[in-house]
Amino acid sequence: MYGDKALELILELKRAAEGSLPPYNEDGIRQVLEETSVLYDQNQADVLRESSMTGAESLLSAVQFRHTCLERNQRCLLAYLHNRLEIIKEMRWEFGSVLPPDIKNNMSEQESQWFNKYSKSLASYMRSLGEEGLDLTQDRKPPKNLFIQVRCLRDFGEFETEDGSMVVLKKNSQHFLLRSQCEPLIRQGILEHILS
Amino acid sequence: MAALDESYDEEHEGSEDEVEMTAAEALSKLEEAWLNEKFAPDLLETKADLVDCMLEQIQQMEDNLKRCKKGDMRILIHKMEIDRIRFVISSYLRLRLEKIEKFHEEILHRESGRKEEDPLLLSEQELSFAKEYSQSVKEHAKVLVLNHLPQNFQKLDREKTAPKPDLDQHVFLKANRNQDQVLIEPELEDDPSAEVVDLVKDSQYIMRFRPLVPLVTDGAVSLI
Amino acid sequence: MLINDIRLQFYDKIIHKRVLLLVSHDVDALCACKILQALFHCDHIQYTIVAVAGKQDLERAFLEHSEQLEFVVMINCGGNIDLIELLQPEENVVFYICDSHRPIHLNNVFNDSQVKMLVNSGDEFNLPAYEDVIRNEESDEDDSGNESDEPSGKRRRFDEATLERKMEKRRKRREWEQNKERIMYDYDEFSFYGTAASLVMYDLAWKLSKDTNDLLWWAITGLTSQLIAKRIDREKYVSDVTELNRHVSRHNHRGNEDECPLSVNSMKISFVPELQLTLYKHWSLFESLRHSAYTACTLKLWTLKGQKKLNEFLADMGLPLAQSKQKFSAMDVEFKDNVKDWLETSAKKFGLDNISVPSFQVQFGFKHKYCALDVAFAVDALLESVNTSKSAEERFMEALDCLSRTYIDKLEDGLDLCKQQMMGVVNQVQSLLDMKKVVSAGPFLYAFVPDGTPGSKFFSRPNCLMTLGRFTLEAYVKLYNRRKARNLPLVVTAPLDFENGTSLVVGIPPLPELEQASRNFFGKAFEQAAEKTGSRTLHDNFEPSVVIMRTEDRSKFFDALISLLQ
Repeated sequence: MYGDKALELILELKRAAEGSLPPYNEDGIRQVLEETSVLYDQNQADVLRESSMTGAESLLSAVQFRHTCLERNQRCLLAYLHNRLEIIKEMRWEFGSVLPPDIKNNMSEQESQWFNKYSKSLASYMRSLGEEGLDLTQDRKPPKNLFIQVRCLRDFGEFETEDGSMVVLKKNSQHFLLRSQCEPLIRQGILEHILS
Repeated sequence: MAALDESYDEEHEGSEDEVEMTAAEALSKLEEAWLNEKFAPDLLETKADLVDCMLEQIQQMEDNLKRCKKGDMRILIHKMEIDRIRFVISSYLRLRLEKIEKFHEEILHRESGRKEEDPLLLSEQELSFAKEYSQSVKEHAKVLVLNHLPQNFQKLDREKTAPKPDLDQHVFLKANRNQDQVLIEPELEDDPSAEVVDLVKDSQYIMRFRPLVPLVTDGAVSLI
Repeated sequence: MLINDIRLQFYDKIIHKRVLLLVSHDVDALCACKILQALFHCDHIQYTIVAVAGKQDLERAFLEHSEQLEFVVMINCGGNIDLIELLQPEENVVFYICDSHRPIHLNNVFNDSQVKMLVNSGDEFNLPAYEDVIRNEESDEDDSGNESDEPSGKRRRFDEATLERKMEKRRKRREWEQNKERIMYDYDEFSFYGTAASLVMYDLAWKLSKDTNDLLWWAITGLTSQLIAKRIDREKYVSDVTELNRHVSRHNHRGNEDECPLSVNSMKISFVPELQLTLYKHWSLFESLRHSAYTACTLKLWTLKGQKKLNEFLADMGLPLAQSKQKFSAMDVEFKDNVKDWLETSAKKFGLDNISVPSFQVQFGFKHKYCALDVAFAVDALLESVNTSKSAEERFMEALDCLSRTYIDKLEDGLDLCKQQMMGVVNQVQSLLDMKKVVSAGPFLYAFVPDGTPGSKFFSRPNCLMTLGRFTLEAYVKLYNRRKARNLPLVVTAPLDFENGTSLVVGIPPLPELEQASRNFFGKAFEQAAEKTGSRTLHDNFEPSVVIMRTEDRSKFFDALISLLQ
């Protein structure tokens, strides 16, 4: 009671491993909302009573306390949503517009919708840059070399390089390829960057 | 940048000399804008024209490269240069997007209060992105939480709740020219005891961002 | 076709092209690969590296990756097999092979268009003459074609002459066949090793003026691994070391140290005589003496007497027992500094004349100081790690990584793994000797590593099994000191995969051969024995004296081997 459940929601997010999205806690949200409406109803009743009879000023402090709890619950709920959106945003930059299923399963219906909206506006923003658009999800680190050594962590299949030739990306093979071309694959965990 | 100039075919040399100079300048200006944006706590004016100019430049360089022979040593150097420029542009735009997303309410509010003659805070594309973003985030909060709360908890007060940039953060800066009598606390402008500082060219300082806003905007100082 | 000017005939041809690098599982190949990679990085040559453990891997890797590729570089693989026959490549594909396995398959030597062998110009190949082994079939057919064209009338008259000519021709042909067989037998009889691939690659780097201390260190490691695996004899090793030492002094020469001190982080290589004691700098001296083949076999540590002798040896050096069992790095400074000299002096009294070899050590940063012998051991241990969670390719990649300074932690893992491996080997030797499991079959000795013993998993890896084999043979010969045994080879088998019922078999040449040219005749012998008895064997390894066999076929295989070698 009095904000414990709301705090629990926040902690749940905080405890989740970095870069992962815990499942959307619909039940938790519902419980906080229920608590909120109970508190609100009690406050309404007390306010009514307070105005109807004299000498009930003692109720006032309880009303104030509940009001603070209500504000706190509101704030926690919004923070929960906001922080989840931040994680989801991060995913858009990491994985592109199509999310891996395990992340998708942890999103609520509304979050999926929001993701699609965000993805669309980001994409149309990037398309509008320059003449041919500029993919901002690329070039995330300052370039040091044109070519880098990469190792294949899982089978990917054929991959067309810039000059049109085919490279077969097979697990445990190592390649020396253009950095700009490898970047997305590195982010998807298919390639690993090897230092020399 | 010297390497970049060489990439142009000799036939263009005479006529494009002028453009080239501005391209080199544009790049150094963009680099400065990028660093300022990186270290400033607040969103700075848009430099969309510089970005467009450099994007065009990259495109041109790439087209030129296609005509070069394979195995030419210069190709690698130029490709590297293109990569570097592209990184600066992307990083600059990413930094701005990040701030726009973070302070969307505040920024849109400022934008709506902007007068016609004021410099543009957001580029056209950024503005539409910011609007879409802001709208979707608000909608999201409304559907999932706010609508289910009691009546008087359904509205949010922008002044109270929206995150705002912290202008009192300290930043490192370098003066690009001599600047006398800079008011450290502009809020107290009328106060005769207000502290002032003379910035000397090429010296470095650390101070609060708030009094520096106009100086950064007109290029008198660079953030480092 | 043999290539001598590697720069002109190899490097200049592949520059700006995409290259497929097929690298076999051995330390020398890894080092050569690192050197080549460094060169490719300089010139932005795009490549793909695939690890190949055996011929089947080679075939698969080629099929999977060869699409649109014209240039394939093979390191320590492919030289001693008929590549064109095995891989059936398109006509535009060219193989560049840097392989220290000898003898080189003659079809590779005489293929001028598609197979180019990168070899050290100083190596001797004893190649047979082209016309002695490859008959120009076309001219024969031409002859016979002309004959049948002759008018029939004439034919009768010349019948006798023709017949004679034909007979003569047939006789010549038979002679030629016999001659070829003899030549081929001589050529193929022994398998052995030539100059390390890493040295060939380093030579290329030097000619391209792109050699650095890093590259040099890899070349040193590659060469050292050849010594450890007894692939080359001491003489060849010393001459290669001398060659490398010239580069070492060129790269590590600086004037007055005080005037221009190098940063601590830069790499320094120095030439030092090094004790042939396994990992003693990362272990304790006592353990190292016990686990090094040379000291363990010479002092006969398998017996009580031998153990006493070890203590005497330490006493002679003046090293307290407690100190010798201390971690080497934690030994008293006074002992640590002098131990090498003392050990060398005492070693002579105990018949350990060859305890030190010329070698190199490297230093970078404050912490990292390694000697080439230890690094070569560690890399090999990573390659042959018995950790079941890692596939062969993953082990290869790990070993490749540990050669770069960025991933130096992995080298430390390798050192630990190597200790475990050596303990496994020594325990196994001890138990083979104790149980009298080394048995003479007449023309050779044999030993089976029984399944299910604690260390047996180590011996499912070819190099480790060979180490065990050499260790066992040396221990056996020195322990029993029978004259007959001195010249006997040894065959060792170890369980490979219990569920599939397969064993790994390696043949170790007799000690005198091992010490000199390290020539191994088991490759051919295994092949013939398997053929004769129809044993189910797999000659997949690039080293022909290593085969995989169905365990149930073992006895008939050995019977055939006995009669063959008698």
